[in-house]
Amino acid sequence: MTEKTITIREQKVHKDYTKVKLIILLILLGLLLLAAAFASKVSPFDPYEQDLGSALQEPGDAHIFGTDRYGRDMLSRVIMGSQTTIFSALLLVCIITVVGTVVGIFCGYYGGKLDAVLMRISDIFLAFPGMVFAIAVAGVLSGGLSNAVVALACISWPKFARLARSQVMTVKDAPYIAAAKLAGSGTVKIMIKHILPNIAGAIIVTAVLDIGTMIMELAGLSFLGLGATPPTAEWGSMMSNGRSMLQTCPWVVLAPGFAIFITVVLFNLLGDTVRDVLDPRNSASH
Amino acid sequence: MKKYIGKRLLQLIPILIGITLLTFILMNTSSTDAIDIMEQNTGGSWTEAQKEAARAALGLDKPLPIQYINWLGDVLTGDMGESYISGQPVFLTFMEKLPATVYLTITSILLTILISIPFGILSAVRQNKFLDYLIRFFSFIGNSLPNFFVALLLILFFSLKLGWLPVMGSSEGFKSVILPTLTLAIAMSSKYTRQVRATVLEEMNKDYVLGARARGIRENRILYFNVLKASMLSIVTLLALSIGSLLGGTAIVESIFMWDGVGKLAVDAILTRDYPIIQAYVIWMALIYVLVNLATDIIYHYLDPRIRLGEGMK
Amino acid sequence: MKNKWMKKTGLLLLALVMTSGLLMGCGSSSEKSTATDSSAANGEKVFYYGDTTFNAENEEADVNPHNTYAGWACIRYGIGETLFKYSDTMELEPWLATEYENADANTWVVTLRDGVTFTSGRAMDAAAVKECLDDLVASHERAAGDLKIKEITAEGQKLTITTTEPVPALMNYLSDPYGCIIDMEAGITPEGNVTGTGPYIATKIETDKGLTLVKNENYWDGTPKLDTIYVQTISDGDTMTMAMQSGELDAAYGLPYASLPLFQVEPYSISSCETSRSFFAQINYANTALQDGKVRKAIASAIDKENFTKVLLDGNGSAAVGPFPASFAFGDETVTAESYDPEAAKTLLEEAGWTDTDKDGYVDKDGEKLTIRWATYPSRQELPLLAESVQATLKDIGIDVQVNCTASVGDVVDSGDWDIYAGAFVSAPTGDPEYFFTTHCLDNSSKNRGGYHSDALEALEAQMAATFDAEIRASLATQMTQTILDDNSFIFASHLKMSIVSGEGVTGLEAHPSDYYEITAELDKN
Repeated sequence: MTEKTITIREQKVHKDYTKVKLIILLILLGLLLLAAAFASKVSPFDPYEQDLGSALQEPGDAHIFGTDRYGRDMLSRVIMGSQTTIFSALLLVCIITVVGTVVGIFCGYYGGKLDAVLMRISDIFLAFPGMVFAIAVAGVLSGGLSNAVVALACISWPKFARLARSQVMTVKDAPYIAAAKLAGSGTVKIMIKHILPNIAGAIIVTAVLDIGTMIMELAGLSFLGLGATPPTAEWGSMMSNGRSMLQTCPWVVLAPGFAIFITVVLFNLLGDTVRDVLDPRNSASH
Repeated sequence: MKKYIGKRLLQLIPILIGITLLTFILMNTSSTDAIDIMEQNTGGSWTEAQKEAARAALGLDKPLPIQYINWLGDVLTGDMGESYISGQPVFLTFMEKLPATVYLTITSILLTILISIPFGILSAVRQNKFLDYLIRFFSFIGNSLPNFFVALLLILFFSLKLGWLPVMGSSEGFKSVILPTLTLAIAMSSKYTRQVRATVLEEMNKDYVLGARARGIRENRILYFNVLKASMLSIVTLLALSIGSLLGGTAIVESIFMWDGVGKLAVDAILTRDYPIIQAYVIWMALIYVLVNLATDIIYHYLDPRIRLGEGMK
Repeated sequence: MKNKWMKKTGLLLLALVMTSGLLMGCGSSSEKSTATDSSAANGEKVFYYGDTTFNAENEEADVNPHNTYAGWACIRYGIGETLFKYSDTMELEPWLATEYENADANTWVVTLRDGVTFTSGRAMDAAAVKECLDDLVASHERAAGDLKIKEITAEGQKLTITTTEPVPALMNYLSDPYGCIIDMEAGITPEGNVTGTGPYIATKIETDKGLTLVKNENYWDGTPKLDTIYVQTISDGDTMTMAMQSGELDAAYGLPYASLPLFQVEPYSISSCETSRSFFAQINYANTALQDGKVRKAIASAIDKENFTKVLLDGNGSAAVGPFPASFAFGDETVTAESYDPEAAKTLLEEAGWTDTDKDGYVDKDGEKLTIRWATYPSRQELPLLAESVQATLKDIGIDVQVNCTASVGDVVDSGDWDIYAGAFVSAPTGDPEYFFTTHCLDNSSKNRGGYHSDALEALEAQMAATFDAEIRASLATQMTQTILDDNSFIFASHLKMSIVSGEGVTGLEAHPSDYYEITAELDKN
């Protein structure tokens, strides 16, 4: 019970350890993203090429992850699915981060009526329990991966708006902002040059931590049939379509399932590590 | 205190208007015409005149703001129209399925409390020891598994390999609630074990704990009498607030386990484009969520001495 | 100090529970059915039956035969019975009626069975049947259109039916599930329950959820062997599979094909049979590219029916030629259609002027790519599989298929935003061939979605409508089928083989080609 007496050396060791972890994670995720980006080049087979003659083959030499009921190579489909799933999730996180941050900065900086109105609107979106609204939006817009992204974006941006706003409130009366104002900097310039860098840390941490969640929620919507539709290679919809073969040909479900799991683990680890680096105050885990 | 509750209730009004307005807009953006769906479901083909009559009967020929006000009036009186598919009143259908979802939500929260509080505390107390790493490892895994994957794995293992538990909900009383509850609780507990640990750690690093230690008070005593007491209020509040994510999260789990609640009702309704049901689902879930949050807030406000003190000073 | 803290946390928890309790109080308390164990303990025989079809979406919201397709539920669960029933070869056999004769082309005399009573206790005589049929014609549009009844007279056990015009298949139509004979004096309850003559009585009906059946002690044809049957609607085939495996169900209808191999081991047994439910594609003649017979022929030659049936349906079906399976006198063996031949299909497309000039893998003509919008729906598990399979095989010959698979496919058809519609249809539910053509292929057919027209077919139908002789009807049906196949206006992919899986100790559950006789007095569990 002597946490308080961490020596400087220990702190340094810890910092180095975090750095190494960050680098390893970034390399791994970089590889994953590269594979996703060049999915059609990396895949050993055409992920959409059917060959009913070799349907539902067990994982083996020819097909490392086996084949699905249309005889399509599972490995190729999982790789292709990484493109669909990961890039949709990244796009989604980008949208909500940017929209939320911009709204939050304006609200925090200007305050007043604009702030009140926008915050009430975000209150309304926050009043819907997470997936409930997403399910309804995806349902009404009648499925499709892009609609699923829209649905999740609708309910997720207010979180970032709130976060950005509260961060702006803490810095906007700081002396250096006042100094910038006196120096005649324009509002936009102040926001970009002085406010944004100061609040970016917390927002990036939250955004990175959100990627894993968004991957799971997008896959969940696809699993319900409200996201990607066949034959699109997408992990959630691949699992949903393979469900009836869970016992007879488990690889059809397990391959995309573990792909989601591993990807989410990597992004979550990255989130934790980035938090340790950028926002040590909140990293109570160490 | 009364003043605070009053204020909170007043704040609720614009939110409720917002919720209903947003739902109304959402339903009106759908590309499908309600009349067409009704026509299709009656199996017949209607003439234009018949369609106009049906439109007028439902008030769909009026301008949108009027439609909204009429509709809001109906909603407030519990009349949410009839299901396009079954023809049953939507409100009754929804209320009939709600208890199953609430039941599942409560069992999941209870299980989450049973798992996350002891393990979170244990993890904090044994910080950076083997047990802490083990607990953190599992909570990390649980946090990275999508609930539909967990559900499938649980079914594969407990129902099919071992044959202990039923696959379908609501057929075998208590036994059938176990797997859906476990599915929901695994993800939630993983998240809350981490939060409980963080809260307890934060409390343990506060000055008064150091002071207590310096005065030679035994570690256990400090833990039970000071640290836990101080952390518990915020932990329980966190859990109460998590009801929202649970209410939404049940939809997938209910569908997989054939649990006859509102989540499954909504998913089925989406597949058949039964918009009145979806509408009821969105509005009522939002309402429940808002009310639960309000109740939690008020109680927290009432119980936390610091906040009460702050108000008294005003 | 300690107490106060406990009190606070306790209060918070209590408040939480109370809020939730309040919310629960809002709804009517729906009791979980825990009756299962108690009744089993009394030595009573309780049976759990899983089914995919008893729901409003499927137009089986209750068991009232006079309501949409709910008659299917009425007859399937042994609640109601019809005047005649179909044999395994879809020929009429006596049931509630013992015989019929044609007095003239418009008059039928039906002799009813003696000694049959409704579960209300009322004897089933001609007067009761007349009341039932009068109500049917008055309240069921499809039945009224099929039967064309002018008048019914009742005398003892003799029922005389006069039609407005000759209806050669009248007895077949009356054996459709909507023809279940129910006691109109006992009436139709608000839940849609009815009083029939079958081996079981429905006591509790919950749309989309299931129903409870109890034994009819006074059944006219033997003693039902089970005391209570719980029919559970399980729309998700995978969940049903697992429920069957874990023993929660004694038998199941509608399991996904992919899971049937799991039940090909002891103690399960599978009863299967070919049905006349066919999966077919219907061409939209509004599309100019598809007006070209060569393009239609190319598409028909590029659908791999054999592999679709063998691999994707796991052999649970047979590749189709026309709408009727080979077991019918006018079935697949009497007609021919294009066989799978991608090379021939490519040649046909070239002949029609479609070639891949821009080398994008898809054929084009006048700068336009050949794209087919394939509209279908997911509630029949075969249809999405067919769509994905066709998408791949048509891509091989250079046609881009865009699948629109939605439960609201009716909207899509109405909007005209489709080129080929793929669906499932029971082509001969009454064993008679005319039904398929009148519903799908004629100028005035309600399901002639693509605006198909053939002079030859209209002429053949005119003959068919006036022909009573079964053999001549069969030969006409063959000619009519060949006509639509030659036009490639319809492409038939496969016929459904339906399977019912029974668990340990279950006997007397047989799949029937009609697809609607399931629960009978023979059903037993040991």
